[in-house]
Amino acid sequence: MPEKPITGEKRAFMTGNEVVAWACLAAQADIMYGYPITPQNEIMHYWTRLAPKYEKKFLQTEDEISAGFTTVGGVLAGARAFTGTGGPGNVLMQEAISMAEMMRIPTVMFIQQRGGPSTATVIYSQQEVTLTTYGGNGEGYRIVYSTASHQDLFDYTIKAFNAAWKYRFPTFILGDGYQAKMRESLMLYDPEARGITMVPAEPLVGLPGTPGVDRDPAHLRNTYNTEEELLALIKGYQAEYDRIAPELAEHEAYDCADAEVIILSHGVVSRSARIAGRELREKGMKVGYFRPITLRPFPDAAIRRAVAKAKKLLVVESSEGQFLKLCQQSLCGLPLPIETLLKPGMGITSEEIVAKLSAWRWG
Amino acid sequence: MNRIVEAYVGEYASGKSECALNRALELLRRQEVMQPVILVDLDTVEPVYTLRPIREELRGLGLDVIAWATRDTVGLGEAGSGWPPAARWVLRRSGSCVLDIGYGVKGAQSLNLLEGAWSDPDLRILAVLNLGRPMTGSYECMLAYVRELGPVHGLINNSHLGDDTTIAFIQEGARTVAEVAEKLKLPLTATCADARFKERLGEKDVCGRPIRYLQRFMPRAFW
Repeated sequence: MPEKPITGEKRAFMTGNEVVAWACLAAQADIMYGYPITPQNEIMHYWTRLAPKYEKKFLQTEDEISAGFTTVGGVLAGARAFTGTGGPGNVLMQEAISMAEMMRIPTVMFIQQRGGPSTATVIYSQQEVTLTTYGGNGEGYRIVYSTASHQDLFDYTIKAFNAAWKYRFPTFILGDGYQAKMRESLMLYDPEARGITMVPAEPLVGLPGTPGVDRDPAHLRNTYNTEEELLALIKGYQAEYDRIAPELAEHEAYDCADAEVIILSHGVVSRSARIAGRELREKGMKVGYFRPITLRPFPDAAIRRAVAKAKKLLVVESSEGQFLKLCQQSLCGLPLPIETLLKPGMGITSEEIVAKLSAWRWG
Repeated sequence: MNRIVEAYVGEYASGKSECALNRALELLRRQEVMQPVILVDLDTVEPVYTLRPIREELRGLGLDVIAWATRDTVGLGEAGSGWPPAARWVLRRSGSCVLDIGYGVKGAQSLNLLEGAWSDPDLRILAVLNLGRPMTGSYECMLAYVRELGPVHGLINNSHLGDDTTIAFIQEGARTVAEVAEKLKLPLTATCADARFKERLGEKDVCGRPIRYLQRFMPRAFW
């Protein structure tokens, strides 16, 4: 038996991509399938450095289409498998992800967002929100965690594997180039030492016994012959997704109870939003902060509660409104004006948010 | 006049650039050191944290800096990057040189591209080590890491946890790096520490080695 990668708890100073590799080890992942693309490369680099020591596996595929499908295949065979990509790679993986949605295959994928469309810039953006939440031909039956810190990357990687294997929907960690490359400290831990049990991975095909006699057949399909069959299936998936959504939805909120203005943001931008909110509070402005952690399912009930007394909302994101659309969909029908600070492909500082809100007429 | 030529190598995110540029600024202030002091970005591995964004700031402080300007680069990240032509010949110039090298074995091997590196009598290759980095997170890991790096003349303890650094952690790093140094029969050249610890840490680390205090430039050098 190889030694455990992490025993107990240990503080470390790392880049986000390294955190993902270590978190996958901690989560007892078996194999990564991948194809290089900036800004996720070091997930692969570190996984391949660590894999031999801990008897894990890695397969570099010929492209991201293959990386997506081999991940699906690995999971079908019972491996706790994952892949990582970003930008055009995320586009190419959509077919495999749609298949995973349809066949309820618990893949885990790490998306380090970069600029778009197409090759665009290689480092930072929040322009893969739509693609990651609803990118395939289907209804977006996915679980998407948008992380903001290295501790998030570690915690939610462990959670992602468990959510995927418990609920059997493809699950994503949505990071970005800044999170991938920036360095900060975090606490590494063995999930078991914190009382977190990993949901066991198991083969979905090739099961023992005679199908139809000893067990139900593992009849996994992504093709349906009639419209009626598909309708029934999707209605069933929707009902199940609606049922589990409240269990899965997560958010973070501060100072919303009496806030006149609430800043809505997600991912790394929420770090700036939180600092801005605090600064403005100290100046006596009634500002609140709300951050959906799950973008799918969106924390609808929580956001509606948070904005109940607000007079105005400010959506801040590094895209031209992809997160804004999720917010608008969730808040549909509420008579609340929404203002925006949208900077596709650019980072957003707390100073910019403070300046934007300070320029408003209050009260 | 002492001609100083130092190359900073080590693990990804070990603090090579911060240690290198602070050392270059220190040499600038020392009268016995041959001037000018040239700081050279030889990192072809990682396009994100480089001297590029702070090049003009460092020039303003008196350093001669050889590094790309972002507008002059092509293919960052995807296609790799090359050195500015002036970097290849820098050891032929008069003055002292501090070389900021890319990470890992591949980074260290880039010295093979530097004209005159292996015949330069003054070249000292220093491995920067941070106990907070998991790949060098213990005596055994650190020892194995330095052994695979190639030629190294000295070790630098740069153990820290970013904003969560403590004095105890810096000193634990010093002890660990000192053990590795002893095993490899290499000097522990110095400990590096954030300037905010200066009052409490003093002049020397727990192993009696000098402490070089760092002004943090690299947080502004992101991309």
